[in-house]
Amino acid sequence: MAAPAQSLNLLKEPSIQQGVLGDRTNRSLHWFAILLSCMTVGLLVAGALVTSNEAGDSVPDWPLSFGRWLIKSNNFIANVRYEYSHRFVAGVVGATTLIFALWAYISERRVWMRRLGLIALAGVIAQAGIGGLRVLLPEYKAAIAVPHALVAQSFFGLIVAMAVFTSSSWSGVGESRPDTGNPGVRRLATIAVAAVLIQLVLGAGFRHGAFGIIPHISGAIVVTALIISTSVITIRRHGGDKFLARPAKLATALVLVQAGLGVAAYFARLAAAGDPQPLEPMISLTVAHLVVGALTLASVLVLCLRSHRALSVQGLKMTDVTAVEFRSPRRAAV
Amino acid sequence: MLRRISTICVIILATILIVVSCGRKKPAEKDGKDSAGSAKQQYASKGDEGTITGKISFDGAPPASKKIDMSQDANCANSAGEKTTDDVMVAEGKLGNVFVYLKGGPVDKYSFPTPSDPVVLDQQGCRYHPRVLGIQTNQTLKVTNSDSTTHNIHPSPKVNQEWNQMQAQGAPAIEKQFGRAETLIPVKCNQHPWMKANVGVLGHPCFAVSAKDGTYTIKNVPPGTYTLVFWHEVLGEQTQQVTIAAKESKTQDITYKAGATPGAPSMQIGPTLLLP
Repeated sequence: MAAPAQSLNLLKEPSIQQGVLGDRTNRSLHWFAILLSCMTVGLLVAGALVTSNEAGDSVPDWPLSFGRWLIKSNNFIANVRYEYSHRFVAGVVGATTLIFALWAYISERRVWMRRLGLIALAGVIAQAGIGGLRVLLPEYKAAIAVPHALVAQSFFGLIVAMAVFTSSSWSGVGESRPDTGNPGVRRLATIAVAAVLIQLVLGAGFRHGAFGIIPHISGAIVVTALIISTSVITIRRHGGDKFLARPAKLATALVLVQAGLGVAAYFARLAAAGDPQPLEPMISLTVAHLVVGALTLASVLVLCLRSHRALSVQGLKMTDVTAVEFRSPRRAAV
Repeated sequence: MLRRISTICVIILATILIVVSCGRKKPAEKDGKDSAGSAKQQYASKGDEGTITGKISFDGAPPASKKIDMSQDANCANSAGEKTTDDVMVAEGKLGNVFVYLKGGPVDKYSFPTPSDPVVLDQQGCRYHPRVLGIQTNQTLKVTNSDSTTHNIHPSPKVNQEWNQMQAQGAPAIEKQFGRAETLIPVKCNQHPWMKANVGVLGHPCFAVSAKDGTYTIKNVPPGTYTLVFWHEVLGEQTQQVTIAAKESKTQDITYKAGATPGAPSMQIGPTLLLP
């Protein structure tokens, strides 16, 4: 009984509550976060397959499926395969998130990291609830499916961010350099993250029939231009720093692939309008478009976080203590 | 930070709940009310009703049927019957599955008794039979499953209450009513996405669905002037004005032209907001 009590006391130590990271990194939690990120990509694929195959209402009940937790094999046919697989993978991701949140809470010294773990857990629970509402209230398909998509992408972004925060490269950043130039890389990357999230909402809105295609195409032009210009500026100013240059290059590559997939998916959907059922290549293209969209968000988010870590407005290093404050750059600068 | 994020999450969930609860569709109303909600007078037959008959033609080459891939469910793939699309059913230049109904005039002024016989929608060969059907408000729609697989029946009405119900092999028939007139309600099986039907719900009995040879008959039409509506799920809607005198029989033919597909599924280009 003494050991857990000591652990709790340790967590209450002022230095730890202030978020002092020290020179140690949480490598096991880092790899667990990467594993959870990959599982979340799998969950996004499963969800995208449900929408692309028009399988969202194929299992009319929730949280049970045909009145059971594990459905009978003769029910696992046609579109039920997609919907039930989505529920199953979501359950696995939810359970893994619970372990992850507990692990972060116990092992992390940074208070805000422990809180992020709890937020991730709350997010995955809320996401399950929204998914349930989507099934139980089919008449509000778009109104519920769009928040479901947004929470899914946000959850993925949060897990990616936690993988970044637990990485050795995050804690191994040396003296920060000034974020010279106007606009600064930090600001551009932050705007790019917000723009990608908005674009994901517009895409989900189009996919679920809430909006037309025009807002999504307009958003695509803005986001593509924003990501490319952010990356070009980052590489031009900090090209020698792999910490920043790598996610910038990756984001550019992904957004170009994403734009190509978007055009292909659009024309595939046009061509499939008269088909009796969802068919290839429309299914694969729309699923790939969604997944590459999520990966684009992840790459831009990594660039944003790393730029806030490595660059500072006044050339100050964002130390481990001030890392707590990175959410409020203005306060950190003061 | 945590408090802020929690507040935002609570606000989002509360908004969703408010939208869902405030936007909930009204329960089905009993037939026999006009648009203002006041009771309509019951129609009393004088024995002078007329009849409208006609033939619906299709001018041009009909669209080629497409193969349906039922391989996802062996029960469907091994079932008897055609595995091709039948949304545009043309035989010797005549068009079937057109929903024909009267709008305006006496049929909208009076209420009509609800038939006690149900209208049957069967699932056979992983297809809906019939594909297009008409029903009166509050008349029973009886959905049966003659297949050796599970289906789900999911109508997506705009003014009636939406429902989605599974029906296993050998399960008893599902019986439902639609309380409000609505033309037409798409019905879909989300497990087998090629399965589609359309249900026309009217407050009166003056409707028909064209047969394979394109013919239709609407009997017991109260004398008056109407808009005769022809609705096809792919080819769209056409109308004619028609006046029926006492005991008159009138022929109203119409032709759909190939290539004119106003009702064809298309991408929604404009930024129309459909959220409640």
